[in-house]
Amino acid sequence: MAIDYSGQPLLKVENLKQHFKVSNTYTVKAVEGVSFEIYPGETYGLVGESGSGKSTIGRSVIRLYDPTSGSITFDGTDITKKLTRADKKKLRTEMQMIFQDPMSSLNPRKKVEDIIGEGLDIHHTYENRAQRDRLIKDILAKVGLAPEHASRYPHQFSGGQRQRVGIARALIMNPKLIIADECISALDVSIQAQVVNLMKDIQQETGAAYLFIAHDLSMVKYISDRIGVLHLGHLLETGTTEEIFSNPIHPYTKSLLSAIPEPNPIVEKNRVAESYDYKTSGIDYNQGFNHHVGGSHYVKCTDQEFAKWA
Amino acid sequence: MADVILNVKNLDISFKTSAGMVHAIRGIDFDLERGETVAIVGESGSGKSVTMKAAMGILAKNAVVNSGTIDFTYKNQEGVYGSVNILDKDKKWLRNHINGKRISMVFQDPMTSLDPTMNIGKQLVEGMLLHTNMTKEEARAKAIRLLKEVGIEDAEKRMRQYPHQLSGGMRQRVVIAIALSCDPDLLICDEPTTALDVTIQAKIIELIKRVQKERGISVIYITHDLGVVAKVADYVNVMYAGKIVEKGLVDEVFYDPRHPYTWGLLSAMPDLDTDDDRLYTIPGSPPNLLQEVKGDAFAPRNQFALEIDDKEEPPMFQLTKNHFAATWLLDERAPKVEMPKELRERLDRMKREAEKYGN
Repeated sequence: MAIDYSGQPLLKVENLKQHFKVSNTYTVKAVEGVSFEIYPGETYGLVGESGSGKSTIGRSVIRLYDPTSGSITFDGTDITKKLTRADKKKLRTEMQMIFQDPMSSLNPRKKVEDIIGEGLDIHHTYENRAQRDRLIKDILAKVGLAPEHASRYPHQFSGGQRQRVGIARALIMNPKLIIADECISALDVSIQAQVVNLMKDIQQETGAAYLFIAHDLSMVKYISDRIGVLHLGHLLETGTTEEIFSNPIHPYTKSLLSAIPEPNPIVEKNRVAESYDYKTSGIDYNQGFNHHVGGSHYVKCTDQEFAKWA
Repeated sequence: MADVILNVKNLDISFKTSAGMVHAIRGIDFDLERGETVAIVGESGSGKSVTMKAAMGILAKNAVVNSGTIDFTYKNQEGVYGSVNILDKDKKWLRNHINGKRISMVFQDPMTSLDPTMNIGKQLVEGMLLHTNMTKEEARAKAIRLLKEVGIEDAEKRMRQYPHQLSGGMRQRVVIAIALSCDPDLLICDEPTTALDVTIQAKIIELIKRVQKERGISVIYITHDLGVVAKVADYVNVMYAGKIVEKGLVDEVFYDPRHPYTWGLLSAMPDLDTDDDRLYTIPGSPPNLLQEVKGDAFAPRNQFALEIDDKEEPPMFQLTKNHFAATWLLDERAPKVEMPKELRERLDRMKREAEKYGN
């Protein structure tokens, strides 16, 4: 499906800051001035190591946290301020989340049909019991589970199947945006491929946009249209998948790309991964601002750095 | 120096569960030489961790060893090489002589394998005080040396800290330092980097490789990440449903895979040059080992399955000195089946890239 980049973005994050006050003297600046846009039907991949703030961004976007400053516009509505009842309803139905660990994100005491149907129950989106059952059966079929799975409990499923339940739960509200927070990291390689294929199929069918948060760059490359590279709360580099992978500018992006082990023994044993250490690199992220590389490719750095790297 | 340190022969293990006997390991053979790295690859539930737990003698209580031997060769107190069958010994003997001393293990999740109520220093010296005649001061000095060896700065300060005060990568370094504390002959790493980021993963793998080279120890790597295998291993065992289906030198298995399951595993991993619209997936799911498997366990998921696969289990066919695969496709009566075109192209691409390094 072609993505329309000329229209209104579905999600617009501008200069988002998310700080957590730990004590009177110490504040964790998890996200420092991040801006990006997601268009309808697009997949935006956020990558970075743990502690880079990628999950925090996901959680701020769905308003599990109150952003410190900046603005988040979802489908034309500003969702940074105090939410009205109507805004909340819109947000809780049209934006959904898939979590990392399918075992701990599914209530072990509920049947799959009740886990999936919980959103329907809360928002009263069905007329009678039969319709609810039909909706649940449809969604189960869509994610590749059988109708008889509805009356089972999460522990009766394998990891891949559980993640399918998590996806079904997100899909049942017909969301416009799905935030997938490391949703395949806990799965086996062959199962990862199945889940990623499923997510791609669903996107084709429903036109939902994804915010795909992960640290596995090879999968991110595979699923994303555009990528943002995050480190220590700063969005260092963003662009289409092609641009980032064929022409990485920032040394951190380069080190991230070179750290991926390839299934090629001779190459792997000879290759030395590029290392990057923020402390010794002499780069100060706070000094940087966005430089345009070409197309939709931007790098956050100072003028001198840009001249040196590009 | 080709002496075998670990020799697993015809290992067969079942687990007693309320639903019946689960036949988790169905006859495994492999050798490990001193200073060598062996990787065991497979999906979850293929039995790779169970095999290693058997080698450590830490199987769960409901495990039943049906047959097999695990011979471990080591230098005993008098400095003479001798070998023991680990399966013959009781847990207490193993705890005193083998576990943590001669074979040590690095587990997947460093948060759960460290004791949250004990400081790092105490956890490090614990094993040394138990297994060796070191005094407390000696053990402490060695612990600090180990922490420096695994790349932890201000080791003295870290000794007093607790696991929750360290980052994930640091914790895994501490776990490795603990594993090395009694100078083991064999280090078993059970998915040591799965819970970590790529950049940290690269550093931990470098660390394990360096330590192995410096100390000349053997390493068994359990993982499902083929990229990691390519980086570390000399020798690969591919496991499926409690059996080794293909084994060989890492170059043989990666550049010339013969078993359809290995084809599937290699295809399912996106490399950075893949442009296909869909990822290849192996259809279906692994068999339930509660039921006895008849014929080839992989046959129901194998698009190249032959009729005989449903009736009889394939033997190990030898391809080269080290390369074996258990699939009927290698039988001389079998029709000639080539690996999927996409994979062939990818392997060619890999080989071309490898040629740049002059091999």
